[in-house]
Amino acid sequence: MKRLVSLVSLLVVFSFVLAACGPAATEAPVVPTAAVAEPTAAVVEPTAAPTEPPAPVATLKIWADDTRTPILLEFAEEFRAKYNVEVVVEDLGRVQDIRTPMITAAPAGEGPDLFIGVHDWLGALVDSGLVAPIDLGAKAEEFLPLALQAFTYTDGKLYGVPYATENLGFFYNTELVATPPTTWAEVLDISRALKAEGKIEYAFGMAGGGYENLPVLTANGGYIFGLDDNGAWNPDDVGLDSAGMIAGVKWLADAAKEGLIPVTADYETAHQLFETGKAPFLMAGPWALDRIRASGVPYAVTKFPDDGAPFLGVQGFMVNAFSENILLAQSFLTEYVATQEFMQKIYDTGLRPSAFKAVAATMTDKDLVAMGEAGVNAIPMPNIPEMGSVWSAWNNGIALAVSGEQTPEESMTDAANQVRALIKGALAGMVNLPGSYQDQVGCGAQWDPACEATAMKAGDDGKYTLTVQLKAGDYEFKVALDGAWTVNYGSDGAQDGPNYKFTMPADGSVTFTYNPETKLVEIVIQ
Amino acid sequence: MSEPISIQPPRKSMRKQRRRSIIVRWIIAIFLIFFSIFPVLWVVSASLNPTGTLATQQLIPNNPGFGNYRELLNLDQFPFWKWLWNSIKVSSITSVLSLAITTVAAYAFSRFRFRGRQTMLKGILLINVFPGVLALVATFLMVSQIGDVFTFLGLDNHASLIMVYLGGAMGVNIWLMKGFLDTIPRDIDESAMVEGASDWQIFTRLILPLLRPILIVILILNYIGTYGDFVLARVLLRSNENYTLMVGLQIFAGAQFSQRWGVFAAGALMGALPIMIIYLALQDQIVGGLTQGAVKG
Amino acid sequence: MASNKAQKIHKPGASDRGPIFSRLIQFILLVALDIGTVWFLIKLADLGYFPLAAAVLIIAIFVNVVLLRKKAYPIRWMLVGLVFMGLFTIYPIVFTVWVAFTNYGESHLITKQQAIDQILNLTYLPETGKAYSWTAFKSSGGEYALWLKDADGNGYLVKPGEPLSQPQPGEASVGALDGQGIPESIEGYQRLNGILAATDKNLMSIKFGEEGKTIQIRSPMEAAELQPLYQYDAEQDAMINQETGTVYKNLRGMFTSSAGQELRPGFVASIKWTNFRDFFISPALRGPIVRLVTWNFGFAFFSLLLNFSLGLAIAILYNDPDFPLKKLIRSLLIIPYTVPALITILIWRGMLNPDIGVVSRVLESLFGWSPPWFTDQWWAKIAILLVNLWLSYPYFMLICSGALQSIPDEIYAAAKVDGASPWQTFWKITLPLLLVAVGPLLIASFTFNFNNFNLIYLFNAGGPPMAGTPTPAGHTDILISYVYNLAFSGSRGVNYGFASAITIIIFLIVGTITLIQFRFTRMWEKVGENV
Repeated sequence: MKRLVSLVSLLVVFSFVLAACGPAATEAPVVPTAAVAEPTAAVVEPTAAPTEPPAPVATLKIWADDTRTPILLEFAEEFRAKYNVEVVVEDLGRVQDIRTPMITAAPAGEGPDLFIGVHDWLGALVDSGLVAPIDLGAKAEEFLPLALQAFTYTDGKLYGVPYATENLGFFYNTELVATPPTTWAEVLDISRALKAEGKIEYAFGMAGGGYENLPVLTANGGYIFGLDDNGAWNPDDVGLDSAGMIAGVKWLADAAKEGLIPVTADYETAHQLFETGKAPFLMAGPWALDRIRASGVPYAVTKFPDDGAPFLGVQGFMVNAFSENILLAQSFLTEYVATQEFMQKIYDTGLRPSAFKAVAATMTDKDLVAMGEAGVNAIPMPNIPEMGSVWSAWNNGIALAVSGEQTPEESMTDAANQVRALIKGALAGMVNLPGSYQDQVGCGAQWDPACEATAMKAGDDGKYTLTVQLKAGDYEFKVALDGAWTVNYGSDGAQDGPNYKFTMPADGSVTFTYNPETKLVEIVIQ
Repeated sequence: MSEPISIQPPRKSMRKQRRRSIIVRWIIAIFLIFFSIFPVLWVVSASLNPTGTLATQQLIPNNPGFGNYRELLNLDQFPFWKWLWNSIKVSSITSVLSLAITTVAAYAFSRFRFRGRQTMLKGILLINVFPGVLALVATFLMVSQIGDVFTFLGLDNHASLIMVYLGGAMGVNIWLMKGFLDTIPRDIDESAMVEGASDWQIFTRLILPLLRPILIVILILNYIGTYGDFVLARVLLRSNENYTLMVGLQIFAGAQFSQRWGVFAAGALMGALPIMIIYLALQDQIVGGLTQGAVKG
Repeated sequence: MASNKAQKIHKPGASDRGPIFSRLIQFILLVALDIGTVWFLIKLADLGYFPLAAAVLIIAIFVNVVLLRKKAYPIRWMLVGLVFMGLFTIYPIVFTVWVAFTNYGESHLITKQQAIDQILNLTYLPETGKAYSWTAFKSSGGEYALWLKDADGNGYLVKPGEPLSQPQPGEASVGALDGQGIPESIEGYQRLNGILAATDKNLMSIKFGEEGKTIQIRSPMEAAELQPLYQYDAEQDAMINQETGTVYKNLRGMFTSSAGQELRPGFVASIKWTNFRDFFISPALRGPIVRLVTWNFGFAFFSLLLNFSLGLAIAILYNDPDFPLKKLIRSLLIIPYTVPALITILIWRGMLNPDIGVVSRVLESLFGWSPPWFTDQWWAKIAILLVNLWLSYPYFMLICSGALQSIPDEIYAAAKVDGASPWQTFWKITLPLLLVAVGPLLIASFTFNFNNFNLIYLFNAGGPPMAGTPTPAGHTDILISYVYNLAFSGSRGVNYGFASAITIIIFLIVGTITLIQFRFTRMWEKVGENV
């Protein structure tokens, strides 16, 4: 009887495991034949040629979203006919859904040659080595400068071919509001009057946190990151607790206290209130046009009051750095994508303002034109990875102020400090002396600002000290804070200054004393 | 509260008591049904709502219509029936194979005493409580690597998806099954063993029929679990044609910027039908099992 | 109790009398399996997939041991399951543990070799170097020639290994020039348009021109006298910039100069215990940990209690075969389980919305007040528990309905004879016997809810926010949602290494609880065996 069991179990094992181990096992129960036999969905068959088409000389794989896929498929057919290059388009759903597969698949060699994405992914993608730069040559002239700027990373290189921009626009109910307000104060005045008449419940609903209310915050002078001398985002300058930001949040909190804004920030609430005429205003992007139109509410889109600036998001095509067809991918972009015909098609179905000058100039959809105008002064969403540290803290800060749990000053100061702490990371507060001596004291490397063995200890006098044993020789070092190079001081006590140099005449110990006020280090050799 | 099957012939007072108990239970049932159905009615409402919102204020939306259903069923881009078929295929194969693995293993755990038995049981539970943040990344890499050797077990393939699902077959359901087996008196097997039956014969002929209620329960759990999964399937499946229903519907389930919640709701409701049908079909098997007193120690 | 049953069955007898034939078949099958596995292993090793190969090898050895050793007989019953578990459950866990000790995450996604290859591919144009626009020509033998045009419009011809020449039309087999100054033809070569040329994957790596002044294609627009920008010095494990001479040493997965400049991209590197240490030393990362853990336990406990109680109550109430319409009731009550949670959670979110949600509106019209489900921490917690109850009670209803069937009627009958009230019957008989089968599932359900990220994330993303915390956190955040949030908001993008490390810490907590609860399962098992 044991024989039977072991035989049966063996057979089961065999059919299961061998199914996994040998191509010969064609009848394995786990392998549904349908799935194996079918070709990939999106493989484009060549145009109906009477004879058997020649095997394609190359294959270009594109990851796109569901709106762009059909357009690409159309062009793919033409491409195949013309150059005998097969273009495979895989539909990954929404644009946002492309990022994660890219991050997991590309390093494993499973990624596409080209993919669609949003410009603020650049921080992660470029730093991870997943996208290749693109040279548009003279064609760059044909794109909106703001869109190209968004796809340009801090190294000055272009990493994407933009096709559409998106930003919030200011919606108002044309039945309730005859002429759109030009200041935020006016927005509240109009709403107060309408509310007194019993026509509305709120001025507008907050569809979310920072992103959705940015035009209010920027109108008051708020900002997220400052710019450095080269005009690039400066992650050391966090503006969440800037006076303008606090003023903007205070405006929201006051309006909520007065009952003109619902306390709960919610996308659905904001849209419902507007679509049912219970709120005369709404800040929303082109993605919401479909539902607003379907709701039948009389509306128009215009610029933000007080020149409030929304964020600008730019969608475009990027090239996978692990692609084996980088040159082909780039050629496809410059020859096919960066053309008026293609850009027009994308514009026609995408419901987004075009990033291509010639198409943008002939846009007929008045809402999209207005959206484009509302976005003239838009701020490209910072594409540095530090932006990831901002969202939760920022949104929480606004929510806490609006709910009245904290004052805007308190909540935004907290938020800014949270962001700074996240950017600094776990080693915030560390004072270190990275240098050429570090490998002698157990750091395993030189010039390591995060090495714990050379972290200085704070004394009662406010000064920091470190004593190490070194062999005879010449050494160099610098002061670095928070376990990173971001803040570092040279021998002149200035940021990015020259290295300290010292010589050990013989093996012995050396004591460093750092004064945080002068930012200078005193070296005492015993 | 519990009302086990009465053995004695019901007396008059008991009958009265019984009627009262039924009425009370009916009231509770109505309340519970309201609780369970009400949110689903809003899903129905969303599926009929042309604006594609989820937070409507009225149960009957303005301009209700079947536009969402039409969009779902008619667009070439969304092969709804294909997705549904994929889901049913994958879930059926997975749940049956998984049930087989679970049952046989649980039988061994319940009936044999061997070294490491407790450790293995503990291990299975522990492994199942490991929060798998990166399991997805690892699974993806592994399947892609296996696929480099055997294309038919690689990415975008139902065979590999089923295999990955089967990796969860040795899960907590083993405990459920083992617990059930433990309550089946051992005398049954022992007397059969005396008569010279093999373990396999005892298992298939004597024990398996007694397990029917729990087999069905686990089958349904497996089925619903597989059917509803979109996380793994989403990572492993690539082409529209191969999507399972839940992955396909994700296209409409944008975080917040999507306008197509209505289509998602329509798909979710239609997708729920096969599960309902299966449950209705198998329901009697769950409750009708041992109580019939077919085999008793 | 049959404590040594496995051995008992194995006592010589049946098995040894077996025909040699069937044992031979077993053996042949096993050998075939092993041959297949070895072939698979070789393939995997060939492709460089060593971790997977190691896993497959271990599993294969395990399978052989189990099939060959008689003592492992009981394991054979679960071998298939174990193989799948090893490959698709344990292997990912091992991977997670490995990741916890690395800096794997955005900015550090690729392997060191991939990063080195990418950096070595970087080129620069020396000050004296020239850039051209290019047109490719291909000979029938597959050789390439480039027609280059400099900024002034001068045309040049260049072939691999040959110096740049400036032939006029008619010379050196160059045909007439077209409108843009590019020869229509070159004898022996075929002119390619940009895209056709680009279909050759190797074109970018071909070096045209004479040694030392080679020209490479760098984009569809440009070919230039490029020089490799970096050289890798394996001894120092450093990249050396050829233009400036700066040395970039490998510092935890990023080539970094002594001035702190970093060379993109970074790569995966071991950082030992740093991820764990960061969590423990940094108050900023730990956040309001006590409050988070307290709520996490509370959430998991109350979820389990409520969900199980309701599921069990329904199973018992409508278990009665004579109850009218019980099938209909059960079918209606299972509905929440059949609709994808993704949408129902959001529907609940909408229903509870204070401004437009139906629940709030109804309560408001009845009582003039409705709970602030999203802005008050306690109401938010109640809302989460309510939604979770709705989502999960059908699961317990199903399980309990099944498990109830294992309780023999005789026991109830005996209880009734003894005069036990239904209430006593429930506590003394139904519940203990039920827990035999369902107990472990309760543990699993507890741990599932302990890490129920989806619900928290979809319903209110952990809100409302806590005030005055060192890092962003919400009142309904559980550990895992807090950690995910943190891992996703690092200044370097998503940090999988950190997330894995915290996952392991969470696992240690949950695992300990599980093992403690295990003592009950022993007890349950005994209860079961005594039936």
